[in-house]
Amino acid sequence: MIGCYDFCGHYEWTFAWFEELGGHNLVRAYWLEAISQDSQTHAEAEIVGHGIEGMKRYWEHTLAEEAADHVMTATDKVYRIDMHQCPSKGFLIRNGLEQYRDYCDHCMGWIGPMMQKAGFVVDHEHNHRGQCWWEMRQKSDPTPPSAPGTLSGENDVRLLPGWKSDLADTIDHYERATDPDDKTTVS
Amino acid sequence: MNTSAPLPYTDTKRVGAADFYTAINATFRFIFRRFGREGLVRYWHDLGTSYYAPVSSRWKEGGLSAVTAYWQAFFDAEPGSRVEISMVENEARVCVKECPAIQHLRAQGREIVPFFCQHCHFVSEAIAQPAGLTVRVKGGNGSCEQRFIKSGPEVAPQRLEDIATAS
Repeated sequence: MIGCYDFCGHYEWTFAWFEELGGHNLVRAYWLEAISQDSQTHAEAEIVGHGIEGMKRYWEHTLAEEAADHVMTATDKVYRIDMHQCPSKGFLIRNGLEQYRDYCDHCMGWIGPMMQKAGFVVDHEHNHRGQCWWEMRQKSDPTPPSAPGTLSGENDVRLLPGWKSDLADTIDHYERATDPDDKTTVS
Repeated sequence: MNTSAPLPYTDTKRVGAADFYTAINATFRFIFRRFGREGLVRYWHDLGTSYYAPVSSRWKEGGLSAVTAYWQAFFDAEPGSRVEISMVENEARVCVKECPAIQHLRAQGREIVPFFCQHCHFVSEAIAQPAGLTVRVKGGNGSCEQRFIKSGPEVAPQRLEDIATAS
């Protein structure tokens, strides 16, 4: 049986299997069709159906179940997650698993299209070491991403000493995005 | 990686997150729609021989007792599972009284891919072969019996009709 205890391991392995079989477009199709539109229909019901209130309910449940070290901040205009230790990427790092070039892209791969359907855009960065932040705003809201510390205070992951602790670290950056490829990488 | 532990991959949580079963089910459906049954069987085989290669190594080194140790630790980490694992006449026998995946998918009202339970045969067979073992699965759709035995010409092949359609 394929289990859920090590799901992130075989999930990440599967990205590489798809890429070898059908290239990057097949990986994107997998995130969209299998994850965003099939596996995560419970998330869609909350997010597309209820906007920021639905995001709060969905991620409160799922991040608690995954035992994620994170902080959520919400107003009526923006929903923000500061992920201090991602349980998913953390599992891969602890077990030495890396088949696909950037596991973290899968989140934008399924969340991005769902946010687009809900009428939201995403500002997001991840540092490839299990830390990231997300801000979701209505597409009609032109507010830029928050400056470090201004929205989630001392919980802002960008203020933690480990956010960019090594010169070799790279940060992937998304601005008002809903597409997993719509990113720039900052060294 | 701790090569003496029954599971090759370990987590900090006592059990996994059951919502991931919906992604496993959706992955099977995606591959079947794109590549048919042949593609899905290839996926299960490749997963067994590649991602689960460390499990094969444990079974090769530790024999059937490593098989029982693996499945005990595995199901201990799967939420909602109810299993009986034993060694019976040179067989490692896994009696799944309540499959955690089928149980969760039903509770969530998900459409389960009909051939869901076949993955237990194809993945486990790919893990078992390098260790000189083979597996026979009977039942499914919520409960089943999986027998891990030494490979040999006297062992009858797996009959896929012995594996129930999931719903």
